[in-house]
Amino acid sequence: MTMLARSALRTVRPLGAAARNAASRTATRSASTSSSTAEGTASSWKTNALPAGATLFAIGSVAWYYQMFGRNVDAMTPAEEGLHPTKYPWEHAKWYKTFDHASLRRGFQVYREVCASCHSLSRVPYRAAVGNFMTVDEAKALAEENEYDTEPNNEGEIEKRPGKLSDYLPSPYKNDEAARAANNGALPPDLSLMVKARHGGCDYIFSLLTGYPEEPPAGAVVQEGLNFNPYFPGTGIAMARVLYDDLVEYDDGTKATTSQMAKDVTEFLNWAAEPEMDDRKKMGWKVLAISSVLFALSVWVKRYKWAPIKSRKLVYTPPVQSKILTKLPQPPNKS
Amino acid sequence: MGITDFFSAAWDTFSVPSPDAEAPVQGGSSTKTPASGTDEESKDEKEVNQKDAKSQDDGEQGHKPGDKDEEEEEEEEESVDPKDTLEQECTESKECSPAKHHYDECVERVTGQIESDGKAKEDCIEEFFHLAHCATQCAAPKLFAQLK
Ligand code: HEC
Repeated sequence: MTMLARSALRTVRPLGAAARNAASRTATRSASTSSSTAEGTASSWKTNALPAGATLFAIGSVAWYYQMFGRNVDAMTPAEEGLHPTKYPWEHAKWYKTFDHASLRRGFQVYREVCASCHSLSRVPYRAAVGNFMTVDEAKALAEENEYDTEPNNEGEIEKRPGKLSDYLPSPYKNDEAARAANNGALPPDLSLMVKARHGGCDYIFSLLTGYPEEPPAGAVVQEGLNFNPYFPGTGIAMARVLYDDLVEYDDGTKATTSQMAKDVTEFLNWAAEPEMDDRKKMGWKVLAISSVLFALSVWVKRYKWAPIKSRKLVYTPPVQSKILTKLPQPPNKS
Repeated sequence: MGITDFFSAAWDTFSVPSPDAEAPVQGGSSTKTPASGTDEESKDEKEVNQKDAKSQDDGEQGHKPGDKDEEEEEEEEESVDPKDTLEQECTESKECSPAKHHYDECVERVTGQIESDGKAKEDCIEEFFHLAHCATQCAAPKLFAQLK
């Protein structure tokens, strides 16, 4: 340590010397310039004009460049871009929190009773609901409400059977064309991955569902068949407002206000898009716990192994040297 | 979701999970409780039900149709979306008064244009955006504190 400090000091010393030299040099130079300007104070504005002009020119050109090329240019007007959704403090988005599974259950109810008539959720099987917000029996009963195709039988006919846990949620329309035909030409997109598919995720969907104003702002042009929604890019959306207070009746007694339903269905859609989230966070905790123990252990082992090496002391004891000369036979001292 | 949930979650994480499904056992071959399909109460259920009946309303047994439903209906009519009220408050607040001022002014101008020329020369979408942004931003934390 002292060695390091000493060597650092040694490098500083020549620097200091250089600084001292430079200081003395500028001092002499300024002394000489002041003596030259002292000759005529009347000509001092001429000496200042050049640097002042250059400075002004530099500032001016930077300003011109900035106003020409430096500002943000938007290809779209704010209306075309859509209003950016407000950030809401989602509980489940925190890194140490899970989905609120009661909310998932309510959200699924909203999806089934409201959105399912237009939107498919084709990547979610009934089995995914089990243990998350439904019991096995509830999910089975729900699956059995719908009919699915069987494998071809001995005659090659495809028959119908009641749904099973392994089946996926049914889609409201046979195909996209049928969906468009039923919705004035607009396709209600599949909602399975919607939270991941839009900027703003949950905030966007929540804002979209609750953001229909009573009437569009003055002067806004809303196309025939579209509805004004500030959050949808372009502000004209083919989906009308679907959530109204008390549209569904929650079985846990929660008040079904518009924003409550929107929050629940949004959280549910987040789960649909990211069903692994709870496990992922849990796994993260495990990784942190185990790796911090292992890290502490490895630090301890390192110190344990290095302790004798770091604390050893090398001592060199030179052999006792007796002077060779004394061993030589002394010549007889003659005077 | 408080600190206790954190500990129970940590416990769940490191303990060996129980092999049982989370759903309560219904049907199947359980010998203790009657399988689903029987309407009879089990002994345990009977006790609990009796307690419930006593604790709910003394003297009166069973559910009286009519009066409670009416109450519920009244409640339903009342339910107001907190988002609307909170955002309304925020719109009126000092924080959003510049945005509100601009929006109101724009609306007045544009309605004037429509009345005099029969056609709007501009729209108030941008002004509306600024106001809506301010109001939702201000209402967001209060709203989520009220929702479940
Ligand atoms: C009456 C049919 C209908 C119902 C009910 C409905 N939607 Fe839609 N939805 C549509 C249509 C049509 C579109 C396409 C809009 C467009 O592209 O202009 C759409 C689009 C969407 C979008 C995508 C917006 C975007 O950014 O592209 C989301 C998200 C959405 N709906 C969510 C929901 C949710 C959640 C519900 C249930 C609460 C629901 N919808 C109920 C018809 C419906």
